[in-house]
Amino acid sequence: MSGPAWVGQGIPQVDMLDKLRGSTKYIADISVSGMLHAVIVRSPVAHGRLHAVDVDRAKKVPGVRAVLTSADTPHRFFGPHANDWEILASEKVRSFGDEIAAIAATTLDAAREAAALVTATVEELPAVFDAREALRDGAPTVWEDRPGNVANSFQISRGNVEEAFAKADLVVTDRYSTNQIYHAYLEPIGVMAEYHPSGSYTLTVPSHIPYKARLTYAGALGVRPDQIRIVVPPIGGSFGAKYEMIEPLIAAVLARDTGRPVRLVYDREEDALIARSRPPFWFHHRIGVTAEGMFIARETEVVGTAGSRVFWSPAVLATAIHRVDSLYNFHNMAGTGALAYTNEAPTTCMRGFGNAESLFGIEQMIDEIGEKLGIDPVELRQRNAVREGETTLHGWHISSSKLPECLERVKEVSDLDNQRRETRKQRGLTGVRRGIGVAIAHHVSGYRPILADYDGSSAIVHATSGGRVTLFVGEPDIGQGQATVLSQLACDELGCSPDDVNLQGVDSALSPDAVGTLASRATTMAGNAVVAAARSARQKLDALLADHWRTTPDRLHREGEVVHFGEQSLTFRESMALYAASNCGLPLLGEGVHRPATQMPDKDKYGNPSAAYPFAAHVAEVEVDCDSGQIRVTRYWAVHDSGTILNPSTARGQVVGAIAQGVGWALMEDVKVDLGRVRNPNFLDYRIPGSGDMPETYVEFVDAYEPNGPHGAKSLAEAAINPVTAAIANAFHDATGIRCHDLPLAPERIWELLTGARAQSPAHDAEEALI
Amino acid sequence: MTTAAIHEGSMPVTITVNGRTEKAEVPGLTPLGDFLREKLGLTGTKLGCRAGDCGSCTVLVDSVPVASCLMPVAQVGERAVATVEGLGGEGDLHPLQEAFRNNNASQCGFCIPGILMAATAFLDRAEPPSRAEVVDGLSGNLCRCTGYESIVSAIVEAHTLNREA
Ligand code: FES
Ligand code: FES
Repeated sequence: MSGPAWVGQGIPQVDMLDKLRGSTKYIADISVSGMLHAVIVRSPVAHGRLHAVDVDRAKKVPGVRAVLTSADTPHRFFGPHANDWEILASEKVRSFGDEIAAIAATTLDAAREAAALVTATVEELPAVFDAREALRDGAPTVWEDRPGNVANSFQISRGNVEEAFAKADLVVTDRYSTNQIYHAYLEPIGVMAEYHPSGSYTLTVPSHIPYKARLTYAGALGVRPDQIRIVVPPIGGSFGAKYEMIEPLIAAVLARDTGRPVRLVYDREEDALIARSRPPFWFHHRIGVTAEGMFIARETEVVGTAGSRVFWSPAVLATAIHRVDSLYNFHNMAGTGALAYTNEAPTTCMRGFGNAESLFGIEQMIDEIGEKLGIDPVELRQRNAVREGETTLHGWHISSSKLPECLERVKEVSDLDNQRRETRKQRGLTGVRRGIGVAIAHHVSGYRPILADYDGSSAIVHATSGGRVTLFVGEPDIGQGQATVLSQLACDELGCSPDDVNLQGVDSALSPDAVGTLASRATTMAGNAVVAAARSARQKLDALLADHWRTTPDRLHREGEVVHFGEQSLTFRESMALYAASNCGLPLLGEGVHRPATQMPDKDKYGNPSAAYPFAAHVAEVEVDCDSGQIRVTRYWAVHDSGTILNPSTARGQVVGAIAQGVGWALMEDVKVDLGRVRNPNFLDYRIPGSGDMPETYVEFVDAYEPNGPHGAKSLAEAAINPVTAAIANAFHDATGIRCHDLPLAPERIWELLTGARAQSPAHDAEEALI
Repeated sequence: MTTAAIHEGSMPVTITVNGRTEKAEVPGLTPLGDFLREKLGLTGTKLGCRAGDCGSCTVLVDSVPVASCLMPVAQVGERAVATVEGLGGEGDLHPLQEAFRNNNASQCGFCIPGILMAATAFLDRAEPPSRAEVVDGLSGNLCRCTGYESIVSAIVEAHTLNREA
């Protein structure tokens, strides 16, 4: 048999034409008859007791159909991790921008006008805006029933760290911090809600974990999950932000109250003001090493910000504390962490999910260890990296890893050794300095504890008499090209072409229940399910064709879109017409269930939460302008093990896009919060990389095969952002000899570090004296 | 301001969009982008920021790329507006669309209509643009997904396709 026709081809994304013609309907493009527009009234203070909300004047604005306060909502506390959400604030507001009232009106202008007329009587309370302060004695209390402001904590240990540290020849200890990042998807958040007299809701929500979100929404609205139909429209970027959101609930209550469909769409400023951003973390790491450069102990302590309520920060914290143990073998480890309630907007997950945050520090410390022991940084990583076939400290089973090859290749293609010899000679604190840095990373391909009920995935393949194939999965496409690779996988099983395939957007009335698209799981999980579903459909089709030709299925022979038996043949379309005609019009249906080879972590967090782990080795080259503190990434090399690459073109796009986000995070992005209020809620002041900020980039995928992945594939998109900030920080160190412990490496910070280093450096004084 | 006051400002507007003459009654300060989306149902033009910072609302006004979130519709006057919906014909693709498809130059797609319109400026040149020129020319358009590489390649390729056509 020849190789697959579609898997491995860099075909264009299946929804590309709609996107290029402007006909993709994102939430703000969808309007239905009778639709009302919603606007939210928000808290003007970061912390306060809410005494009264006066809505009388707002109700009188022409066009206004509803003005709701907490009293009009099914008033209960709920939330994905702790019961600390409410649809509208009742007794207290806990962060600037907390939702106090909601308005639905026939026009957006009327809704806005009414919103301006709502007055809230708020008694301001002392507030806390820093997680580290929030955890100290005497800090203002955000939630009365949670004294001490601990929103969540995490502890884990393996082996005997203290004993191991005592044996270590070298112990390095350091602090690192990672900052608050806005996801900055180009499409602001929007939702639509409809209420049906039967007591059920249809929520059109660009969420990539719709079924999980539905459980939260059902709890909030006091209905059964099946009374909520969730429809996922095309999503204009998310990167983790559009998970479980409060907005669909506000729209739902307005829809119930008015009996009309309600659409709520933010503008950029509102979106950024209340953005649930990447949680800021403060790390203390300690690593113990033998003289031969073998790691023997790691200790990590993390404090992070949950904000005024808990979204997804606990899972991010846990990841930041213990995921790195499946990249390196530390043999003994102890990690603790706490998330604090503060009077700031809640934080949530973002691409990289704590792993990228932890690696920013760890990957710099590994360079430092190499320098102290005189071991090459690539060699040091090779010695300590977890290997294929190993089961790591926490029970994670690495079924495939070509990380050693990735490291070798990235070293070779970036000419790392020669370049570093040059940069080391030029290292300095003045003028323009060049530096080069390496960092590695890994990630998961799905994470079992997220929604233990539906780990894995299921899929339905539906093919009509005309040969139109529709795939139903519960994992929404979020622009990363997943619909395309799923189509490629299905086509190779079914013998059809991607032109014949539609991917049904996730709709809980039609699609299988699923965990969703997160934790880099969709290609591996949904991919396996689609292969299984398409295979089952093909088996039915083959049985019919064999019958038709009076032979047996094993004697049929497929070539592209044609099935042959001896001299006879039928195209896919012809065979589908035959199938439907022989079954009174029944479409060909295939079902696929994929149960991954994972093991639910036990109460000590020991188990194998993912079926596959992708790896990456990156090298960044930077230029530091020591006068301005400006860093530019001039060239970048990324070598990945993501198993078989199903679509090299979209895969490359994922890597380059992740590097762009990493460059933004490393060098320029920072949500500036002052007394709980975001000071840069727009793209002018919150700068994300533009075309001119991107380095020339080399991307390579090494030959690899993951036994648990569809056609050998594993995940990619998060592994690609995880090493970026560390690679850049290591390159900055290479250029200047300075360690930057905090993100971003923005000009002001870099300028200060350089100025400080110059003041302390006698060599520099001598250099100055000569000038 | 009351709703009445907002509506008092309404005025008849006649503009040409994608070759068709369109009339509507709106407040003169209505941004062109809102007019296209709300009044004409041309939702291909996206509003990513409404502040001139992201370029997702870019349309052509007499062939010049303009941020439609900033330009009041009353200011368009006689000039011809072109949006993504007018790019390419019924069955055939504009060279830019073809090149974007060949290069998979989109992920979520939200920025793409604006980028396509901004990129038309490169096609009229005699000489193919260099990558650096395209990078410069795109400075007003943000994309959070792609890292721009595929977009730049597509625009360079579109120039060639356009010459060949
Ligand atoms: S919407 Fe016009 S520039 Fe962003
Ligand atoms: S493709 Fe998503 S913003 Fe450009």
